[in-house]
This record gives sequence, structure tokens and C-alpha cells, in this order.
Amino acid sequence: MSKDNRFIALKKTPFHSRTSLASRTNKWYNWNGFTVPTEYSTTELEYTAARNGTSVMDLTPMCKYEIKGSDAHKYIDYLVTRDLSEMNDNTVAYIIWCNEDGKVIDDGTIFKHSSEHFMLCCAVKILNWLNDSAIGFDVTIKDVTDTIAALSIQGPTSCSTLKNYGADSLENMKPFEMKEYNINGYNVLISRTGFTGDLGYELWTDPQNAETMWDSVMEAGSLLKIRPFGMNALEMTRIEAGFIQTNTDFVAAEDALRPVRMRSPYEIGMGWLVHLNKKNYFVGKNALKKEKQSGTTERCLVGLDIDGDKPAHGSVIYNEKKEDIGIVTAALWSPTLKKSIALASLKRPYGIKIKDNIFAEIYHPEEIEYRKIWAKCKIVKRQFYSPERRNNVPADLYE
Amino acid sequence: MSQSDYDVIVIGGGHNGLVCANILAKKNKKVIIVEARSTCGGLLDDQIINCVPNFSTEVVNALGGLSVKYKPKSTIALSETGQHIRLTGNQHIDHRSIATFSESDADRYVEFHNKMSLFSKTLGSFMMSSPPRVMNHNYSDYFKLFKLGMNVRFLGKKNFNEFARMIGLNIADELEDNFENTLLQGLIAHDSIIGSNLGPRSPGTVINLMYRMANHDNSIFGGNYEIEGGCNQLTDALVSLAEKNKIKIITSAKVSKCIIQDDRAVGVELENGEQIYGKSVVSNADPKSTYFNLLGSENLDTDVKRRVKHYRSKGRVAKLILDLNSIPSFNNCDESDLESRMIIAPSIDYIEENYNRSKFDKLSDEPIIELSLQENSEGMKRLNVQVQYASYKVQHGWDEAKDQCINSVIKLIKKYSPEIEKSIEGKKFISPDDVELDYNVSGGHWHHGEIQIDQLFMLRPIPGASQYKTHLDGLYMCGAGSHPGGGLSGIPGKNAAQEILKGTN
Repeated sequence: MSKDNRFIALKKTPFHSRTSLASRTNKWYNWNGFTVPTEYSTTELEYTAARNGTSVMDLTPMCKYEIKGSDAHKYIDYLVTRDLSEMNDNTVAYIIWCNEDGKVIDDGTIFKHSSEHFMLCCAVKILNWLNDSAIGFDVTIKDVTDTIAALSIQGPTSCSTLKNYGADSLENMKPFEMKEYNINGYNVLISRTGFTGDLGYELWTDPQNAETMWDSVMEAGSLLKIRPFGMNALEMTRIEAGFIQTNTDFVAAEDALRPVRMRSPYEIGMGWLVHLNKKNYFVGKNALKKEKQSGTTERCLVGLDIDGDKPAHGSVIYNEKKEDIGIVTAALWSPTLKKSIALASLKRPYGIKIKDNIFAEIYHPEEIEYRKIWAKCKIVKRQFYSPERRNNVPADLYE
Repeated sequence: MSQSDYDVIVIGGGHNGLVCANILAKKNKKVIIVEARSTCGGLLDDQIINCVPNFSTEVVNALGGLSVKYKPKSTIALSETGQHIRLTGNQHIDHRSIATFSESDADRYVEFHNKMSLFSKTLGSFMMSSPPRVMNHNYSDYFKLFKLGMNVRFLGKKNFNEFARMIGLNIADELEDNFENTLLQGLIAHDSIIGSNLGPRSPGTVINLMYRMANHDNSIFGGNYEIEGGCNQLTDALVSLAEKNKIKIITSAKVSKCIIQDDRAVGVELENGEQIYGKSVVSNADPKSTYFNLLGSENLDTDVKRRVKHYRSKGRVAKLILDLNSIPSFNNCDESDLESRMIIAPSIDYIEENYNRSKFDKLSDEPIIELSLQENSEGMKRLNVQVQYASYKVQHGWDEAKDQCINSVIKLIKKYSPEIEKSIEGKKFISPDDVELDYNVSGGHWHHGEIQIDQLFMLRPIPGASQYKTHLDGLYMCGAGSHPGGGLSGIPGKNAAQEILKGTN
């Protein structure tokens, strides 16, 4: 860190010179100790770029850990609930990990370069957890958040944009695959991953290439509706895609002040990531097995399709007897679906066995006063929006 | 599931492993003991131990009797001036002995002793059985905890207040308030810190002393014994009992890991690759070895690994064995004095200064030592020296520090026995690192881990592993790392056996 930066609380990302130039509103947000734009111009326009063109987001503040060593593969398989024993090189997997009580600490993505080299990306800082979990494994873990610059390029024209940028035959890359490229004389890792539920890629490179990479990508997409994309628009796309966010839809088990706020994977719709019969032990297995066998899961996370057009931010959910059965964790008027949608955490059996007669109490702000709306909800798949092009191979191309 | 060859496999033939195996075998369980060393007994060894407390009567009863003879040992605090203090555990004799220095100390000693004895009995009532586990929400567990609370409350208002005042106190404050003779202060302080990683001014040393007393006939200096014929006599008695109970014992067989099937311990694998299957497995090894080596880090939750890692188990006592050709004479000591535990720890400050050096893994030029003379009918004469605060992983390593330690010990003994060097024929030094290596005890700690408030009762060895269970179904612990800890009582072995019987019946 240079001398001038010693007293600056929030760090700048390697893209800062470009993001600050693109920012028209000067609205910033503290993400993991970095300052990044909340929005550049208008959130709706940025959202539209992600759904109809290409959006570009500075992903650098995401927590990134490099895991190396002869036991790296074994260690990752032990750390997470998902069975990764068969994971291939140059692929990416979505994962969650739990504490000994089987409560979710965080979700993230794991990138496998080789069985001795992985990269873990996640929302919450967990170096201590990773290190303590590594007792007995031959691995070294390094926080590489500051040493890898990352951009998320999402949207229907993203593949075309990146092909223009120099990523040859990128359209043949399958979802959750990754490949090392050399473009314009520097190395860049491209993975077909993202947080918008659409076709999209993430680019990882050394911070010294960040600015030229930003410029080249913007240039490559200039005729393909490219636009920088802030945190607000990301929140819209991720709700439509039904992705959960740590400390929004559930509290990270290591951060929760109240033990009752901790959630097991089954309570946040992540049961599909728990493989109780995988060969080796994994952290939280005993507790999760017990929960599964005894059926003591208390809550569930569901998608709600809500009547009317007013977003149900923070609404309490009731049954027909007006008994409190849960709460909305994220809500949105979806511009693409033209629907009011929400993610809600409900007390079982509501959401699982009882799906009818569920209501949201929406307080809609109207110039200092609130209007109380009693809106009927339908329980739907959490993945509200999932276009076919998301998984198409070869990916859709535009000129 | 593979076929089980045995009902219970006991890993380690220390005295607790032997006790546990014998009690199980008496209940018609088919038991095998797998011992890594060439003989059973573990730390119950003259090479390690100077004197022992009485084997708990409850354990002896559970075993159906044990023929081992104990000889009481009195304690003597050596003074450079020759004004030694001799204490036996008998109030009248001790009063008289202290009164030659200070009438007021003598009176206060009796008062102090009675008070401590009452408290140690109260704690002791809790020590014999398996500790309660509140998380079980089990009625009998709640009752046990309630009973301890009531025992303390029924001490009466004055004693209850006194108990509450003393429970977290350091022994130095208490001794300085009561006694004027520094040698007496040093002597009691010595027995409050012995074997631990605490100094006289460390909080928690009072409870340390109470705990020790609970295991020593509720007496400060009364419960020390010598096993006639040496420690092996107790081991031999337990081994021959095992033979009578048809327990199979295999020695020189080091277990490399526990065999786990369907999240349950089903047997052990030896270092030579041989596998032995059993319905339950009991580990007499220390908690760190049990968890990290037998159970394996890859089978533990991160939170459990953190707790095991934090478990404090660094040994603080080294042993120097001096082979002698004649009985040495000590200044102002008669023959019966030489049969006592002789302690050189002349004041609280002396001990505290030694402790200060040990915090930085340094050795002292004037160490704290306990001497015990051992003789047998074959003419073997031996001076066993315990060196307190000889750190595990001492600065620059024991290879380099060993000679320095031996020299300072001998130099110190010479002050009390000027001719000692002439009678020394051989020297053997055993550091905590040696104990770790030779006896397979990680950290080389006497008690398989510190006996301190955070590692006692239901917290011993770690939360979630009390009641002799581990985090793996079918794997139990029966060693000093479990409640009530070390001290050669045999209670952990007995309690573990009872828990296993509960689990299998």
C-alpha cells in the first residue's frame, strides 16, 4: 500500500479509474472494504443491459482464496457439503459449507485448476475458517482478493462481446467451465459463470491488466449494447434468477448473534447441494444427517408470486388466520416478468405442505404515509427467470 | 459391516485402560487390549512417578479387589539452614512440627487444612461418577448438577461464601494471608502447582490444590504413598487380573487409526496393517492423539478440531533418575526423613521466579525439585528427582538443554547433601519431549492435559466429548484426558467402562 493510501478506509479496485469515470451519479457502496458503484447512471438502464445487451461489473471485491497443496482436492471435498470427488480440471462448481451444527456459513463458487490448485470465491471473509479446517491436510491457503482483478460480463450479447475482445471459440464453452486465454499479450481466465441467471462470463486477471482489459471489453461491446453495471441492478437480476445472498436471505452461521437465526441448507433451499452419502466425511455431516433423519427442519425458502404491482420489501407473511408464518427476505417488481416477486423464509409446513391461502402484508410508502396492502401470494419455483440461452452450447451470438 | 472379533477393543494398556478392560470383562464382554509399548502400564512407571495417591476404593471394589501394598510417605520441606519442616497428614504431628517455627502458623495450618479438606470433599463427591451433560436434557444429568449445587450450598453460609471467595483465587494470596513462615508457604504452594502450567500467583491454583486433595484422601500432605516393590506392582496386579478375566493383551502393537464404517468406529488398524474388529473401541490415549491420529482430522468438524487444538497439554515436569552406590546423607536429616518426599521449594517467590522463566521456555539455575529415595532388596539405590517447570519444547531443544538441567539439579542437591556426587553412578534424564515420544502422550503431560477450570468436569477434555464419548459413535475415551483427569485414581477407566456398558446394554 502506498504512503498516500494509509488513511483511506475503503480501498479502490484496479478498475477504479474506469469505474469512477463511468459513474454519472457518484453513488458508491462499501463491498468487503472496497468502494464500488451502487449505480452508474440509472439502475433500470443497467438492468436492461444485463437482460438485453451486455453488462460489465467490477467483481474484484469478492472474497477470493487460493488453495494449493497435495491434499487440495481432498480438502475441498471435506470442506463443502457437495460431493466434489469427481470434479474435473478447469471446471467450476457452486457450493455451500456448514459448521458443526450443519448451519450454512456461506455459499460460493470453487474453481478447479488441478487437483492441487483451487480458487474459492465467496461473500464473507473466511480465512480463519479455511485455515482451521485445514488442520491435518497438506494445503496452504492464501487470500488473493487483492491480487486478482475480476470483471463479470453478463447478458445475451456477452459471448459476442468477448469474442470481439479476443476470446476465440468462447461459444463452445459449457456452463461452469473455464479456460485460460492469452489476449492482447496478457493472461486472462474466463469462466462461464455469473450471478444474473443469464448467459454470462467472468474474467480473472492480474490487477496490472485491469484498465486495458476494461477498455478493450468496452470497445468490443460498443455495438452490442454494453453498459457498466452496479450493485443495485445486480440485486434485481439475482432475485429474478432466484439466487440467494448471504446475510440477506440468511445469516452466515459464523456471524449470527442469535443461534436461532442460523439456517441449515434444507432451510434455504440448498438441500440439493448436500450429499450425505458421499464417500468421505465433510464438515457438518453428523448434524445434517441427524436433521434429515429426524425431520426437524424448521423453515424453508420459497419463491412468491405476489398479487398486484407493489414490491413486498420486508413484508411479513401470514396464513388465512392472520398468523405470522414468515418473512420476505428479498422482493422486486420484475421488469422482465411484469410481476411482483419475492424470496421468503417460511415456517414449515407452510411452503412445503401448505401452499394455499398465503398472504403478504405490504406497506407501500406514499408520501410519508403508508398504504397497507393485503396481497395474496402463490408459491412458485425460486428460479423466476431462466431463459433457454443461459445453457445453450454453442452460446448465442449476435453481430 | 464386518464381523466383530471382540466386544470392546481398548487402545493402550495404561492403568486406566487396564481398569476399563477388567470391569468390562467382568461383565462378560470379550475384550482385547492393544498396547504400543512392549509392556503395559503407560505412565504408571517408576521412571515417571515418585509417589502415588491411593487407588480409588470404588475402583478397587469394581475390580473385585486388588492386592497391592501401599506405604504412606510423609513430606519434608528442605531448608538450607537445616530447619526442615516435616508433615505427615496427621494433624497432631503436623501441628507440633510447625509449632517449632511458629505457634500461629501451626494453629492456622490446622484451620486451613480443615477448610480445604471440607471443600475437597464437596468437589470429590462429584469426581467419582461420570460428569453430567446438560445438553442431553437428561433428568439424571440435571439432578447430578443440582446435587453438586446443593452440596456447595449446604456447606453453610460462612463456608459457602468462603468457597465462592476461594474458587478462583491464587494460592499465594491465601498462603501469605495465613502464614508467616516462607518455607511452609513454599511447601503448600509447591503441591498446588505440581504438574501444572501455573505459578503460585496464577488464578485457579486454589482449586488445583482442592482437586489434588480430593484424590489424596482429602489431605494436603497425607495422601502420598509408595507402592511396595515399585509402580510395576500395580501394573502387574492389573495385568494378572486381566489374564484371569480372559482379556487378550497384545503389546508392541501401535494402532495407526480407527476403522470407521457408516460413521461408526468398528475396529482398529495397526501400524503393521493388521486389522482388528470390535463393537466398540476405547482409547486410553490422550485426547489430542485420539482425535487427530486415531479418529483422524479428516473425519472431524472444523469446530471440533479447533477445540482439540486449544486443549492445553504441554508437560511441565522432567525426571532425573540418579543411580547411587550408597545412601546419601542430607544435612540435618535422619533415616526416616530420607523415606519422605523431600521438596526443595523454599518460598513462594522462589517458585514464581521459576515459573516466570518457564513461561519463556527457559530453564532455571535453581529449579524446584522433589526427591524420593528408592531402594529394593537387590541393593538397588536410586534417587528419583522430579524437576518442576521443565518445559515441553524448551528453548534450544532438550538435546542442548539436558546437561544444563542435570547440572543445575545436582548443584542444588549438593547444597543439602554435599557428598551426593560421590555416590552417583548413573544418570537418566526424561524430559516432557521424551515422555511424548516414549509413552505416546502428545505434549508429554502427566495428566494428559492441564487440570484447570476450563478443562474440568463436563468440559474435560473438550465440550461435546464429555461422558467418555467422542464425536464418533462407538469410540470412547478412558484416559486421564477424561474426567476427573490424571492422578492415578483409575476413575476415568472405571467411569468409561460404565458408560460403555450403558451404551451396549
